[in-house]
Amino acid sequence: MTTTDQRQMELTLPMVPDIEIAAARAAGNLARELGMSSEKVDEMMHAVIEACINAREHGYCADNRIYLRFVGTSQGEGRRIDVWVTDRGKGFDPDDERSRRAAPGTAHKRGRGLQLIEAHMDEVDISTSRDGGTTIHMVKYEKKS
Amino acid sequence: MTEELKVAVERKPNGAVLYTKGYINNVGGEEIANRAYELMDDGVRTLLLNLRDTKIVNSIGISILIEIIEKMMEQGGKIAFCCLTPVIHKTFQIMGLANYAAIFENEETAVKELTL
Repeated sequence: MTTTDQRQMELTLPMVPDIEIAAARAAGNLARELGMSSEKVDEMMHAVIEACINAREHGYCADNRIYLRFVGTSQGEGRRIDVWVTDRGKGFDPDDERSRRAAPGTAHKRGRGLQLIEAHMDEVDISTSRDGGTTIHMVKYEKKS
Repeated sequence: MTEELKVAVERKPNGAVLYTKGYINNVGGEEIANRAYELMDDGVRTLLLNLRDTKIVNSIGISILIEIIEKMMEQGGKIAFCCLTPVIHKTFQIMGLANYAAIFENEETAVKELTL
């Protein structure tokens, strides 16, 4: 029989400059408590930062808040951390966001945050609708060594 | 809540090294750009960015670094990076920086290879 250890945290943060650092640190602390390696923690923290920036850039919402939920689970030989980053803004088009390029010589140097999120996390699911807000759910896994 | 980036400059015989400390976001990226452009205006054409004390970069900061690389390339110079954390190295590769700027594991190797 395997035991399951689960830790949860919820945060509501104002959309102010650099607030993504507070969100990333909170997620990082939870992942470290769970025993995740520093490389996995760093990757997840960078993804959380980009998700919060995305909320700030595309949110344009009246409540001016970012809602975060972290669930860390340790079970048997594996660990995982689920992160939800939600805003109540006007939504965005993920395909349009993905099509942007940031290389020298190209017009769009910004807007690669989504690609970074997808590269740094193992699973990413985006629910977004016009004026219905956005939730980015992302998962990072690690097998226990 | 602000995370201020500190930038230090060391002039070398054939260029300069910029040392960053802290979060490279829009404000931090602009700070690096200002220092880099000052050096370029002063004739520096080889610039090494040592990120040993930077643990987090975001996509906006990286877009500014790309603009610095572009400007240096227009002037026939080159920019390189060293001392990146594994996640920043991975991020630079995803964002395409690694295609336009050399990345070195440590400063000693970078200075030697760039003949700074």
